[in-house]
Amino acid sequence: MKKKAARKDFYMEIRKSPGRFLSILFIVALGVAFFSGIRASEPDMRLSGDSYFDGAELMDIKALCTYGITEADIRTIEQEDGVAYAEGAYSADFLYNTSDEQQVLHVMSLQEKMNRVTVSEGRLPESSGECMADDSSGFQIGDEIKLESGTDDEITDTLKTDTLKVVGLGNSPCYLSYGRGSTTVGDGSISAFLVVPEETFDMEVYTEVYLQVEGAKELLAFTDVYDEQIDSVMERMEDLAGERAVVRRNELRDEANEKLDEARDELEEGRVTAAKELADAAKEIADAEVQIADARLQIADGRVKIIDAKKTLSSKQKELDTAKAEYQSGLAQLMEGKRAYEQGYQQYETARAEAEAQFAEGRQQLEGLKAQIEEDKQSYQTVLEQIGVLKGKIKELEVQAGASGGSDASGGNSAVGGSSSTGGNEGNAESGPVYPDAGQGGGTDNEEIPQPDPGQPGVDIEQMLVQLRQQLAELDQTSQLLLMKIEGQEQAYEAGIAELNAGQKQLEDSKARLDASKQQLDSAEAEIASAPAQLASGQSQINQGWNELKEQETKLDEGEAEIASNESKIADAKKEYEEGKLEAEAEIADGEREIAEAEAEIADIELPKWYVYDRSTLIEYSGFGENAERLGAIGRVFPVLFFLVAALISLTSMTRMVEEQRTSIGTMKALGYGKGAIASKYIGYALLATAGGSILGVLIGEKILPYIIVYAYGILYQHLPQILVPYDWGYAAMASGAAVFCTIFATVMACYKELDAQPAVLMRPPTPKNGRRVLLERVGFIWRHLNFTWKSTIRNLMRYKKRFFMTIFGIGGCMALMLVGFGLKDSCYEIAELQFAEIQFYDGSVYLEEDITEEQQKNLMESLGGEEQITGYMEADMQNITLVNGKKERAAYECVFEDVESIPEFVDFHDRKSKEKYELSDDGVIISEKTAKLLEIKEGDTIEIKDEENGNKKVKVSQICENYMGHYIYFTPGCYEEAYGEKPEYNSILFKVEDSCTNTQMEKLGRNILKQDGALSVSYTHDIEKQLDDMLRSLNLVIIVLIISAGMLAFVVLYNLNTVNIAERKRELATLKVLGFYNMEVAEYVYRENILLTFLGAVVGVVLGKFLHLFIIETVEVDSAMFGRNINLPSFIYSLVLTVIFSLMINGVMYFKLKKIDMVESLKSIE
Amino acid sequence: MGGFVTLEGVKKRYRMGEVEIMAADGIDFQIQKGEFAVVVGPSGAGKTTVLNILGGMDTASEGTVMVDGQDITGYSQKRLTAYRRDDIGFVFQFYNLIPNLTALENVELALQICKNPMDAQEVLEEVGLGQRLDNFPAQLSGGEQQRVSIARALAKNPKILLCDEPTGALDYNTGKAILKLLQDTCRIKGMTVILITHNSAIAPMADRVIKIKNGRVADIRRNPRPVPVETIEW
Repeated sequence: MKKKAARKDFYMEIRKSPGRFLSILFIVALGVAFFSGIRASEPDMRLSGDSYFDGAELMDIKALCTYGITEADIRTIEQEDGVAYAEGAYSADFLYNTSDEQQVLHVMSLQEKMNRVTVSEGRLPESSGECMADDSSGFQIGDEIKLESGTDDEITDTLKTDTLKVVGLGNSPCYLSYGRGSTTVGDGSISAFLVVPEETFDMEVYTEVYLQVEGAKELLAFTDVYDEQIDSVMERMEDLAGERAVVRRNELRDEANEKLDEARDELEEGRVTAAKELADAAKEIADAEVQIADARLQIADGRVKIIDAKKTLSSKQKELDTAKAEYQSGLAQLMEGKRAYEQGYQQYETARAEAEAQFAEGRQQLEGLKAQIEEDKQSYQTVLEQIGVLKGKIKELEVQAGASGGSDASGGNSAVGGSSSTGGNEGNAESGPVYPDAGQGGGTDNEEIPQPDPGQPGVDIEQMLVQLRQQLAELDQTSQLLLMKIEGQEQAYEAGIAELNAGQKQLEDSKARLDASKQQLDSAEAEIASAPAQLASGQSQINQGWNELKEQETKLDEGEAEIASNESKIADAKKEYEEGKLEAEAEIADGEREIAEAEAEIADIELPKWYVYDRSTLIEYSGFGENAERLGAIGRVFPVLFFLVAALISLTSMTRMVEEQRTSIGTMKALGYGKGAIASKYIGYALLATAGGSILGVLIGEKILPYIIVYAYGILYQHLPQILVPYDWGYAAMASGAAVFCTIFATVMACYKELDAQPAVLMRPPTPKNGRRVLLERVGFIWRHLNFTWKSTIRNLMRYKKRFFMTIFGIGGCMALMLVGFGLKDSCYEIAELQFAEIQFYDGSVYLEEDITEEQQKNLMESLGGEEQITGYMEADMQNITLVNGKKERAAYECVFEDVESIPEFVDFHDRKSKEKYELSDDGVIISEKTAKLLEIKEGDTIEIKDEENGNKKVKVSQICENYMGHYIYFTPGCYEEAYGEKPEYNSILFKVEDSCTNTQMEKLGRNILKQDGALSVSYTHDIEKQLDDMLRSLNLVIIVLIISAGMLAFVVLYNLNTVNIAERKRELATLKVLGFYNMEVAEYVYRENILLTFLGAVVGVVLGKFLHLFIIETVEVDSAMFGRNINLPSFIYSLVLTVIFSLMINGVMYFKLKKIDMVESLKSIE
Repeated sequence: MGGFVTLEGVKKRYRMGEVEIMAADGIDFQIQKGEFAVVVGPSGAGKTTVLNILGGMDTASEGTVMVDGQDITGYSQKRLTAYRRDDIGFVFQFYNLIPNLTALENVELALQICKNPMDAQEVLEEVGLGQRLDNFPAQLSGGEQQRVSIARALAKNPKILLCDEPTGALDYNTGKAILKLLQDTCRIKGMTVILITHNSAIAPMADRVIKIKNGRVADIRRNPRPVPVETIEW
């Protein structure tokens, strides 16, 4: 029963006062959430980073070697203890010229195992000539990037191709943020990276090797455990590197020696061949000379022969000429002979013709004779025949009684015979044809004969026989006569023939004589006729001889010319030979010298230097760790304050509760409950509220806050694939434990105090707190002028000191937190403004090409002077250097200004606090504040500029100037010369433009400048400002988180305190109401206190915030920049306004609470 | 009717969960101006309800409450507040002084909201605290505190002085002194004083005694000859 009642009382208590319970719960939740949440942000950020690194197989150690890294090196490294993997990779930096600027691109090989890139668009490069570009570079898929070498070496020494096609965009774990690191080419800063397949590189050795350390993946990056693991392997690597260096050197030496030997052999060979070639040449020349001499002899010979030939030809010509003359005379004789012959022949012809005619006549006569003869013969025959026939007829007639014969035929015969006897000289052969003539005559006769025959059929046979015997007898007479005529004619014919034949013979003789002379003539003619041909052939032979001679002569001439040219050739050849000899000698000498040099070089081959780096060599990697650390720094300060406030509130709430319930406690005690039982209610209450709040706080805070904060940093580290926010039970336990402990302890203490008292005392109302005069009342001047309500307020404030301080601390704390939030923003954002408005006035700088000529530089300066918008320009030397003070090192920018007089136009040196102006002089350098602080340098100290080759340079620091961004060391030329022993080489021109000049105008101006020879690149201040703004934007969210948290805290604190306040003063307020105070007036009565407290708290908050801000800025600050130490007025106003708004909101809520106060309360007795 | 203060059929119901409690079940009475009235009754009879309603701290569920010709029954909260500040002077059983204001300041606190207040110091002198003006309540005895409380009520120049068991927390003598002060105030200043008490022994000193029982007026008695406080014993 007892227990049940107690339990019920406990639950009732919570139900009765949900506000108090919840307010404790929430304030604890807030405190715990903030504490554990912000604290967990640090490990969560590391974890998020680590998971990304592990996922991308980020390397643990990177090693470089001055002579490159061989496969053997990698194998050896991989076998080393603690090394899980080793992988070689290539990388090189190249220039890329766009239309208006030059960029440096870092080209690296795509690795198989480590440093996996993430493709955000497109695909990975697969073949040589393709690449994946940095996705924050602005390259687009499909772009062609024409790389140029930044050094004297050809690009093709390193890469197979100088044009890369973008096939994908992505990011690499090696580049966490926007930074892309620096390089030795171009303007010194890499603007983007490109990933290419390994085969794109055309190199014998790897440029670097990446290692993964065994077990390192399981460890959280940025933690000491991880660092130790890596360090141990790094140490081993260093040793190994030493060994490998020796191996490599020996290898290189051997290789070089081999090459040297080869070179030597080559040289020797060269020497021999050269000698041989020379000797050959010499021999050839000699041979040629001999040949020429021979040729000369031959030519001389030829000439002699020609002369002889000429002589012979001349004599031959003469001979020919005589022959010709002879021929002419011969010809004449022949002509004469011919003429004689012609004459003879003509005579003969005429004679012959006469003779012929005589002959023909004779023959005709003969023929005629012959034909007469024939005719006569025929007629004789016919007569004979007629005789025969007559004889036959006579016989027949005689037989039959008759005889017949014919006498007609005898007349015809005698006429023909006459004519034929005239041409009796003709041969017998011609008698045939002549016969028909005779026949004709005869024929006519014969035809007359038969006719009488048929006409005589009936004559009397005896008459007829008588006629026939008469006719026969006549015919016998005629036949006798004919026979005698024929004989005479035959005799005449024979004589004619003989005569004709003798004439014929005479003619033939003269003909023979003519023919013989003709023959003689013909042979002479033939003889003569052949003579011209002979003469012609002789002449042609002679001519031919001359031609030949001429030919020979030209040949000889040619030969001579040839000889001459050959001679000059020989002379040339001789010269050439001499030259060749010299050349060969020079070459050999060169070769010898080169070999000597190479020998020296080999001797000089140093141990290759190995550089072993951990992940901090990666751009922004350390930055990430530092950011996490910085978060940790915020986490150590900020939430503690927050937590403190929260704890104090819950503590007071509980104390207050116990105090309020003293009567109840007394009653319980009076009823006989034990101390423990009574206290357990309150302790339970506190425990439940606090534990509940803690759990809530941890659950929400550890998820939301780290997420928001890491997300905010994600703007900086945009490639973080995921934000991991696991519960950090350590911080959770720490926060919860502290919260529970504080509250419980306070409750126990309060209970203890109450429980110690007697029940009777407890039952009585506590002696009311005395009203007390406050110090202010002594100041009558002020006090008297105060409205008494104010007096009351002030006294009230003083009366409840605990509340007073709690409220002030609470509001002050909130105000401070907000102020820090806003102030952080100010400090970060201001730096760009401060840096470029109060410290560095120049608007941009032109970087000059390294090999710029003096003339180009002069022209460039003149063209700058010609630009209207440029109001000032100055040459400067800007170099990255490393400053050293003792063991501390810091990279800084070295600036040497050419014109000391006009420095104030470009840079203002002054102290941050006192604003005292400094002047740069030859006495010493001015360095930037943060640099000095990091290096622990004071004015008047000496600082060293690192120079590993020639020893560090020492300079005196004359002043330290205000500076926010970057580290600078400023020199006058004189000072520089003193330190370096040489004049500075100005590599850039700083310029200022008119205030009215817009960014676009300025960029246009920049492009104009870049068109000038010698201008390498132009950088603008506004770019840096923008970049900075981007970077700092990530802080915004963190700041907002801080502000909201602070606001919430302020709210809860004020609410709590007010609730307590009202609860405590319920009676008083009820009385006021009864007295006729309007609600508003009652509220005012309370508000007045709140407002006063708010303002007092705000004042405290300002002071507290200022210190806190300073502290946090110093912890949060990055090394490369100094954040402003200032909080701007608006920030104060914002914080104040916000605090007041929170306060007013609370007051608004309180108004209703006040309104609800029952006036009857005033009638009740004091509890 | 003509009463300075008139209650007619005043009923007050409270809802306590499911039960309706009738705190006042038709109360009727009248008090004339300048009268010293005592409302007397046992605990829980409805005195406090009457006081609350009269004092403008609560409104009647039914009936009319007329004060100086004004019906306050239908007053809004704001008008009720105005009524409290201008017409009512309240004297609490536990004085209800603002602890961190001096006696004078406590009086002034009331005066600053009042239309035609009296001089705080004078009033305090009148109640016999001329020497203790700058003392804090905690430095004063109960009686003195009650005097301050009365001075605070009087200084407002109210139409009615409402006293809730003014002697309840005081010892006998002090109580008597306070009663005397109240009676004197009534007599001298012509102030209408309504005193609510469970102590019926005080009744004889009143001009009018209203007895309340079970939420009703049991008896109203006009006392033609009130006795001085000194003669009363309890």
